[in-house]
Amino acid sequence: MIQVYKFAHLADCHLGANRDPVLEDLELAAFKKALDSCLEEKVDFIVITGDLFHANIPDMHIANEAVKKVKEVRDKNIPIYAIYGSHDYSPNETSMIDILDSAGLIKKIVKGEVTGGKLKLEFFIDPKTKAKLVGISARKVGLEKSYFEILDRTSLERESGFKIFMFHSALSELKPEYLSQMESIPVSLLPRGFDYYAGGHIHQHSELSLPDYKRIVYPGTLFAGYPRDFEESAKGVKRGFYIVSFEEKIVDVKFKEVPVCEYVYFEYDASNKNSIQARKELLEELEKIQAEKKLVVVKIKGELSGGKTSDISSTEIRSLLIEKGATYVSINRYGLTSKEYSAIKTIGGDILMIENKLFRENIGTIKITDEALKGEKGTKLAVDLLKILRQEQKLGEKKNDYIERIQKQALDVLRLQEVFT
Amino acid sequence: MEVVGQIVSGKVGEILIRQKSGESIELGDLLVVEEGSSLLILQVFDLCYGSQIPPSARELLAGIKLEGFDAGLEFLEPELRNYVMATVKAIARVSSDRKDIKIPKILPHFFSSVRRIEKEDLAFLTKPSNPVYLGKVRSGSKIIDVDIYLNAKDTFRHHILIPATTGRGKSNLVKVMLWSVLGQGTVGALVLDPHDEYYGRHDKGLKDHPKAKDNVLYYSSNPPAGTNTLIVNLKSITPRHFQGIVTFTDPQQDAIKLYYNRFNEDWIENIVRGVDVNGVAPRTLEVLQRKFDTVLGVFLDDSGNLRCRNRVFSDSAGMTTISDIVNALENGKIVIIDTSHLSDEAELLIGSIIVNEIFHRYQAYKSVGELDTKPTVAVVLEEAPRVLSSEVLATVGDNIYSTVAREGRKFNIGLIAITQLTSLIPRPILANMNTKIILGNEMAIERRAVIDSAAQDLSEDERNIASLDKGEAIVTSIFTKFAVPIQIPLFEEYIEQTTSKEQKGKMVFVG
Repeated sequence: MIQVYKFAHLADCHLGANRDPVLEDLELAAFKKALDSCLEEKVDFIVITGDLFHANIPDMHIANEAVKKVKEVRDKNIPIYAIYGSHDYSPNETSMIDILDSAGLIKKIVKGEVTGGKLKLEFFIDPKTKAKLVGISARKVGLEKSYFEILDRTSLERESGFKIFMFHSALSELKPEYLSQMESIPVSLLPRGFDYYAGGHIHQHSELSLPDYKRIVYPGTLFAGYPRDFEESAKGVKRGFYIVSFEEKIVDVKFKEVPVCEYVYFEYDASNKNSIQARKELLEELEKIQAEKKLVVVKIKGELSGGKTSDISSTEIRSLLIEKGATYVSINRYGLTSKEYSAIKTIGGDILMIENKLFRENIGTIKITDEALKGEKGTKLAVDLLKILRQEQKLGEKKNDYIERIQKQALDVLRLQEVFT
Repeated sequence: MEVVGQIVSGKVGEILIRQKSGESIELGDLLVVEEGSSLLILQVFDLCYGSQIPPSARELLAGIKLEGFDAGLEFLEPELRNYVMATVKAIARVSSDRKDIKIPKILPHFFSSVRRIEKEDLAFLTKPSNPVYLGKVRSGSKIIDVDIYLNAKDTFRHHILIPATTGRGKSNLVKVMLWSVLGQGTVGALVLDPHDEYYGRHDKGLKDHPKAKDNVLYYSSNPPAGTNTLIVNLKSITPRHFQGIVTFTDPQQDAIKLYYNRFNEDWIENIVRGVDVNGVAPRTLEVLQRKFDTVLGVFLDDSGNLRCRNRVFSDSAGMTTISDIVNALENGKIVIIDTSHLSDEAELLIGSIIVNEIFHRYQAYKSVGELDTKPTVAVVLEEAPRVLSSEVLATVGDNIYSTVAREGRKFNIGLIAITQLTSLIPRPILANMNTKIILGNEMAIERRAVIDSAAQDLSEDERNIASLDKGEAIVTSIFTKFAVPIQIPLFEEYIEQTTSKEQKGKMVFVG
């Protein structure tokens, strides 16, 4: 009789993302609850596809709590296999992930080398289930794409057995609409024919299927890495992870919800009201909310016909809801503007979108004569330049080489090579 | 000056030149008359024999030779008595500094000597900003080493028609054009590619351009590694995308409106799932389900899951495909959609979704005064009469492609329409296509349709067009002072000159 094995798939725990003590507790509670659930389900191993921590070196209190829980799982002989996410990545392998790996608490499964211009990856085989795991860690701002582009897919596709591919990247074909500006890779860069594609980076859980890529799964965030995640949760998006049963092939994939608090979502449109009217009406509406023991998300949008946006005070809203028993109040007022107030505001779901918008709007306020620096061209130039300046020193790269590389790329983008050579 | 002939008679638009013995003037040859320091460029459009010997004498002499009475019989001073007459038209008068040209309004001096055109005579043909490359100037079948460029932003915006029969090099020309604008950032292009020949999946193609990595997006239902899967989410489709592409009866259109009003972006899913809506007859719903199955390939499987036969339409994936494509076009990139596995209707529908989106975005940019900062977007449309023919427009109604043909210029969007059957396209649309790159065509009716709508007077050029070999073309455009004969390079040879090997640094892998 063939034995059925189980593994759990978590991603984007973002431990340490939330500095508020209430949120920090909830964030840790979600992580602990998820691992407890793995123990209850008697999984044979756990895969974490990036961003276990919100930073490569997280706050020590968070790290301590996380390590205790991971050790508890490890002590029960359940291995945890992980890759870096874009947040806990370290180019010098000095991330908290590496510390946990060195301590034998988790296993970083990515191993490979670039030879002859091709990236050859080695499979890691889980000793108990013989499941074969391989993957590519994330780097900052989607730079892992260059690894995918040189990946030797053929050798990975040829391998027999039950195969899992772990990655922490958005896939262009499967991105949700609100992340349309996010860096992503086409699915065709993944090796074909794996049994399970364990994804991370997208904060909403989803299970998708494409020709040659039967099961691509993103568990989403366990709690929240960004304020936007609160909004999505409050609108009804479930948070949790996946439990996957398999023999030689997948038998079952189920989403396991990990609720740690109740949410309330309240949206207010202040359009065509002045700031005094809007403040009064908003506070009256908020009074009606059942906020006790709930995480309340308030979204205020629209263009005020008069007055300042600051007349609607976040502090006042927060105090009101906390008095009504809310555990935490998250306020999104990026969409609130006033006809009398023209300072630049940004609305965007992710950093790239916000940066793009900021550049575009700020360029409009500066007098420039050079056409190449205006409008979309100028925005693109600024974004491209920022992308280059964000690059980190490569492993083994000398400081001078690093500076020279960045300078060269920046001059290329600015088309100033000839001026400086 | 090497004289090839002399003007002997004629009138405006039809000047007769006697060819010098030993020379061979060709149809389409460009000749020059020097008038002081300025030049007059002439083009040959007809050739015939001339002879000083009366016809009866020539016929008698031919008989004597043919019947063997005197096989060695020759004409006395044959180079004087028998010759070739070339009929030419004056196409441009070039100023003495060679920088300016004008349409000729007077005849050349009577009895002027005529020589062949030289590279230096065409110094006025300079490279414009935002250049799109078309080929080299051609005189008859001889190539003159002068490159022909047009301003891509202007030319694309004013639409291009490429009429020719199969095998004359239509796609080769478009590939050369797109290669030359790739990476400029001032022109975006959407290529609906029913033969999957532009990207170069198996051969050379736009993927081989040094700037392709950042400037070419390729979508296919069977994508090679690193390219995008063509998946369009059903939510991206609105009823207006079907306009002029798929025929619906009035009750079907009413039903579509009701579903769209009730379910918004989920309207197709609810039709396919057969969700009842008041006012829609079951029979109408069934027909719509069958239509969506035929056009989109969407159906419900036995478990009630929405499926798509061609895997191009999806209810879960492809949420950002259309916005990704439109963003790329708006950033001056080239987007190639491999539609080789799709039905005609599905191909045109995908094009319709994208073109509608870019059209409405550009309309919005115009309304806020931002349009000038945007690249011009060209839509490459093979077999254009599928959506632009008089019959289609009369029976199925206007579609987004015909809207672009009529109004696109105002919004920086143009068509590059490729066709074998120009005569099917209505005259108002042909008249809007301000550049025509005419390749060879054996069909007189098609040649006439092109000539009748050309930017220059080509009424005498029917023979020229009929005699165009593969790769030879005539460019007639509001952006050229005369119809320029060109030789289009073979794409594979052309790109050899512009491709350089990229130096790749060693990459360090961090797991």
